[in-house]
Amino acid sequence: MVEADARILLDWDALEVGETFETYQYLLTQEMIDTYRQGVMDPEASFPTISHKVDVKQYNAKYRDAGSVNARCAFYCYNPPVAGKTITVRAWIADKYLRRGKNYIVTEAVSVDEDGRLIDRVITHELKQPTEVGKKWGG
Amino acid sequence: MGRLVRAYEVGDEVPPLIKEMTQEAINLFEGSSGELEASQFTDEETARETLGTEGTVASGRMSLSFALELLRRYFGSDVFNHSGTVDLRFLRPVRPGDTITFTGAVTGVSREVNGSRVSVDIKVENQRGDTTGVGQGSAVVPNAFLPQDE
Repeated sequence: MVEADARILLDWDALEVGETFETYQYLLTQEMIDTYRQGVMDPEASFPTISHKVDVKQYNAKYRDAGSVNARCAFYCYNPPVAGKTITVRAWIADKYLRRGKNYIVTEAVSVDEDGRLIDRVITHELKQPTEVGKKWGG
Repeated sequence: MGRLVRAYEVGDEVPPLIKEMTQEAINLFEGSSGELEASQFTDEETARETLGTEGTVASGRMSLSFALELLRRYFGSDVFNHSGTVDLRFLRPVRPGDTITFTGAVTGVSREVNGSRVSVDIKVENQRGDTTGVGQGSAVVPNAFLPQDE
C-alpha cells in the first residue's frame, strides 16, 4: 500500500519569508565523509555537510512541489565538521522572489556540532519551475 | 600542512582546477548523506519527469564543492576552511561525461581587523567552452600568513 503524502502543497504566494523549520539533527559518520570525498574527487574535502543539503531538507519535509533547480548557492566555512559528532541544523526561508516570470525560494541554514562549534552556513536559491530550465537546456 | 605565506594582488590568477564528471561520482556525492532515493541527479527517468532533460545532471552543490576546493588549494586549508566563502550561480547544467574547469582571479584585497580579505572571481567552463557557473569567493588571510611588509 502506498502511503499518502501528508506534506503541504507549496503555495508560493502564501509562503512566508522568515518561516523557520524544525531543528534537524544528524550524526556525521566517517563513511559519509569518505563517500563525499570520493564523489567530489578530493581527498581533503572538508565540508561533507554540503551533500546533506540541510538548507532544503526541512523545507522538503514540510512542503511538496514540482521539484526545483538550484540556481545559486553561497557557502560560508567556519570549522570543518568532525566524524562522530552530531550536527544540529537550523534552517529558514530567507527570501523569495519572482524573476522573468519564475518563482524562486531562498533557504538558509546554519550548522553547529554537539560541542557548539559553528560549522558552516549555506544559502540556496531554488527555481521552483524546474521544467522551465529543462526546456532552456535543450533536453 | 605548513603555513602558506604569500602576498596577494589584484589580477593574480588562481591555478585552475579540472574535474571530469561521471555518473559514479554523482551517485557517490548524492549517496554520501545516506539518501538513496532516485532523483534528477541519479535517475534518467526522474530527470525526464522533473526537468524534461534526456539524462541526469550533476547537482549544483557538486560545483560548489569544487569551487571550495579551488580556493582551499589557493589559500591553504588553515585559512580557507575557517574564513572561506563561495557564492556561485549556476548557468548551465553539468552532465556526466563533462570536463569542467574552474578558474579564478583576485579582484580585491581589503584590510580587516586581523588580516586581509582577498576576493576572487570564479568562472566554470565545460569542454565546449560554455560557461556553466560564475561567482565570487573570498578568504580572510590572517596577518601571520602575509609577508611582513604587508
